[in-house]
Amino acid sequence: MRSLLTRNETLVALIILAFCAMTAAVDPRFLSVTTLTDLIRNGIVIGMFAIGVMLVLVSGGIDVSFTAVAAFSMYSATKLMVAWGVGDQMLVAFLVSALLGLTLGLVNAVFIGWLGLPTLIVTLGTLTAFRGFLLTFVGSQLITNVPPGMRAFSRSMLFRGTTADGAFFALPTAVLFLVGAVLVTWFILNRTMLGRSIVAMGGSREAAARVGVNVRAIQFFVYGYVGVLSGLAGIVHASLARVANPFDLVGLELSVIAAVVLGGARLTGGHGTITGTLLGVALIVLINNSLIMLGIPSTWQNVVIGFLILLGTGVPAWQARRRAAAAA
Amino acid sequence: MRKLLGVSALAVAAAVGAAVATDAIAQGKVYKIPTVVKISGIQWFNRMEEGVKRFAGETKHNAYQVGPAKADAQLQVQILEDMIAQKVDAITVVPFSPEALEPVLKKARDQGIKVVAHEASTIQNVDYDIEAFKNEDFGAQLMDRLAKCMGEQGEYAVFVGSLTSKTHNQWVDGAIARQKEKYPKMTLVGSKNETYDDQQQAYAKAQEVMRAFPNVKGFQGSASTDVAGIGLAIEERGREDQTCVAGTSLPSIAGQYLESGAVDAIGFWDPADAAVVMNKVATMVLGGEQVKEGANLGVSGYENVKLEGKVIYGQAYKLVDKTNMKQFPF
Repeated sequence: MRSLLTRNETLVALIILAFCAMTAAVDPRFLSVTTLTDLIRNGIVIGMFAIGVMLVLVSGGIDVSFTAVAAFSMYSATKLMVAWGVGDQMLVAFLVSALLGLTLGLVNAVFIGWLGLPTLIVTLGTLTAFRGFLLTFVGSQLITNVPPGMRAFSRSMLFRGTTADGAFFALPTAVLFLVGAVLVTWFILNRTMLGRSIVAMGGSREAAARVGVNVRAIQFFVYGYVGVLSGLAGIVHASLARVANPFDLVGLELSVIAAVVLGGARLTGGHGTITGTLLGVALIVLINNSLIMLGIPSTWQNVVIGFLILLGTGVPAWQARRRAAAAA
Repeated sequence: MRKLLGVSALAVAAAVGAAVATDAIAQGKVYKIPTVVKISGIQWFNRMEEGVKRFAGETKHNAYQVGPAKADAQLQVQILEDMIAQKVDAITVVPFSPEALEPVLKKARDQGIKVVAHEASTIQNVDYDIEAFKNEDFGAQLMDRLAKCMGEQGEYAVFVGSLTSKTHNQWVDGAIARQKEKYPKMTLVGSKNETYDDQQQAYAKAQEVMRAFPNVKGFQGSASTDVAGIGLAIEERGREDQTCVAGTSLPSIAGQYLESGAVDAIGFWDPADAAVVMNKVATMVLGGEQVKEGANLGVSGYENVKLEGKVIYGQAYKLVDKTNMKQFPF
């Protein structure tokens, strides 16, 4: 019981509940299906990114290049779809974008796994390099006339309807990508040797290597996997927005990392859960999309977000220190 | 036969060329005027280049456009240095960062090169700066469009890229002032929504505005991606007919939402016209002329310009809806 109370997940869940209660008290319309579907819709891409970032944090590294990977894959895939004349083949778009993401992820892996460079430095470098390459050699113009397959995908909904008081709600099919990412990543982390090796490596690389974990192979897997997730998140984002904008997405890194850290993944590695990550994403998306309803003016919105991040990450850290002091 | 045709075509071209060239020469000489833009290859400045070419074709002055491959103040300074070294007669420039260009423009003017800028009303080291319109007036024009679409009543919300983007806030303030003065049955809901020039943010904020204010009828956007994000949110909810959206954007960005009716009108100015006016003013300055209040610069929207110090204001707003968007392919 005590462990449940001191866990990050519990704290974040409580903050979410308190925030919802407060918003609902100010504006009862907050409690509606529309709010829920809007928030889920806006959390799909951040959620997919966050799952990938969580895996990297668990493995003891950090990746800040994933937004550039996503922008690169999404924009190039859209251009290729147009060039190959397969605008209505959405499957091709997903495959190409995922493959491009994989390739760029493996570029990270080469520097990290093979050359043994620090992950933050490598991915900071590739963040800029991938983006620069994209804008210089692939293109820097918005594609507003996205291929018909992407448009159809953005219009396809799992369900849609109208509430009793006439508000519209719908949940896009794209949410299945987030569900898929969650299920696959959960399975890898909790049900496979690979997943246990990732956690072990994040806890102590040296110890993991000594018990026979192939650290280099694991790193290639982790960064490749994040690349694939980023590539898919990119094409999902472009489809939902109905525009392939090469300047898009980059700049979102810190929000995503904040969400993952809020959810209890540790920057020092070895710790992180899917549930926590999803809760962290939920909190960030909730705050970002509820401050108008609360009547908080634009200038204050960033202050509120910053404060909640401090609260969400600070309290568990403080509790951990107190526990450590009590044990000593 | 083909050869003969070619030759005669050449002769005609030469004759016409000579006739117009004497025109330019009659006024003095053929000037070399580069137009230095923020970045080459994007649709906005491709459109501007059409204006430069139009000017060069009509006047036979040696006017041409150059710009860096990426938007970077330092690269623009280098190009300007090159132009000074080539001893051009005048420079027209769309500064990426006006402050960063002051020293090099001062150097140009010290050497007798005339300088005309665009979109840089605070810049010092120029002969003139051309602005397509007064920002407050433009905002008021957008409000007129929005009000007309809304039947002059109902709730509306406003979006800006950021509370620190000066022009966005001038547009929106101009619009709100016009609403208070002319459309008393309309009410502003919420504060200025910030979108950080990000379409996804505009989309999410529009969704939230519609949840918080279910009766909202109008939206005014400022960043070029604002109306696209708002339009997407409206289209997903199937509210194209119940809502009105007007804002600054370009047909290349908002086109699909204008077509579907999710966005009702967009406003902008035509960079080609601005280029012609810049070059025209540059030749006037070279000829020793001054631009006076109320002057007609011979381009639509610049027939009765206002002058404030060195800044020349036109009324060159283009308000476009689905009926005439095809005329502006940029």
